[in-house]
Amino acid sequence: MWRRVRRVADRDFIAPVEATDDGWRLNIDDDARVLLVRLLDELKTLLTSDENDATRPLLHRLFPPAFQDDPDKEAEYQRLMREELVASRVAAVDSVSRLIGPDGPELLTETETMAFMQSVNAIRLVLGTMLDITDDESADGADEEDSPEHHLYAYLGWILEWTVRSLSAG
Amino acid sequence: MEEADTDESTAADRPWVVIVWNDPINLMSYVAFVLQKLFGYSAEKANELMLDVHHKGKAVVANGNREEAEMHVFRLHEHSLWATMEHDE
Repeated sequence: MWRRVRRVADRDFIAPVEATDDGWRLNIDDDARVLLVRLLDELKTLLTSDENDATRPLLHRLFPPAFQDDPDKEAEYQRLMREELVASRVAAVDSVSRLIGPDGPELLTETETMAFMQSVNAIRLVLGTMLDITDDESADGADEEDSPEHHLYAYLGWILEWTVRSLSAG
Repeated sequence: MEEADTDESTAADRPWVVIVWNDPINLMSYVAFVLQKLFGYSAEKANELMLDVHHKGKAVVANGNREEAEMHVFRLHEHSLWATMEHDE
């Protein structure tokens, strides 16, 4: 797992997600919202795609095995649960895309913020898999890499960290 | 035959454990928070389990009969945690 250790020094800093008395506010600008909606759309396409050489490792991480050493039970679990898991994830993606889009509410409920957290985490999981982050060492170094994808990975981690903090505080 | 039936029955009755495995992508704070939310653990207990996952590679986070364990695994998968289940030894 990966620990984020950066500290906030700027007193004018505004967290990207904050708990208020009436709900959770996303302090994310329009460009970032457009980016997140696009990423959610790509996630949805992946969730509903067939397995092939390109998608297999990504889908494997989104749908990990439940029974590691029992192929029969694993096949039964996938047969019974896979479709439900896809439906649950797609529903969350659709909901979050609407919530952070131009017609979304000013404040989110706890359930909506949880869905936002899960979807951001799913995008980050896919991106981390694409970036071949396979151990804690490569995760520690991911922040130092300079590619746009690594910046995006770090950005999603930052949003996720603040979302968790806000939900813990709320 | 009788002996086989007994073995089968014993295996079926044995409880299942739900295991969360370490992975390099999920944030530590996220994992602890999910465990707290899904299982109602205190922040301290969830953090302890998360640290077990991080340092030992895995931790048993819940147990129960097969149906209960499958539901736990499903919910953990919904939250993108790497969870499996197996018979308690």
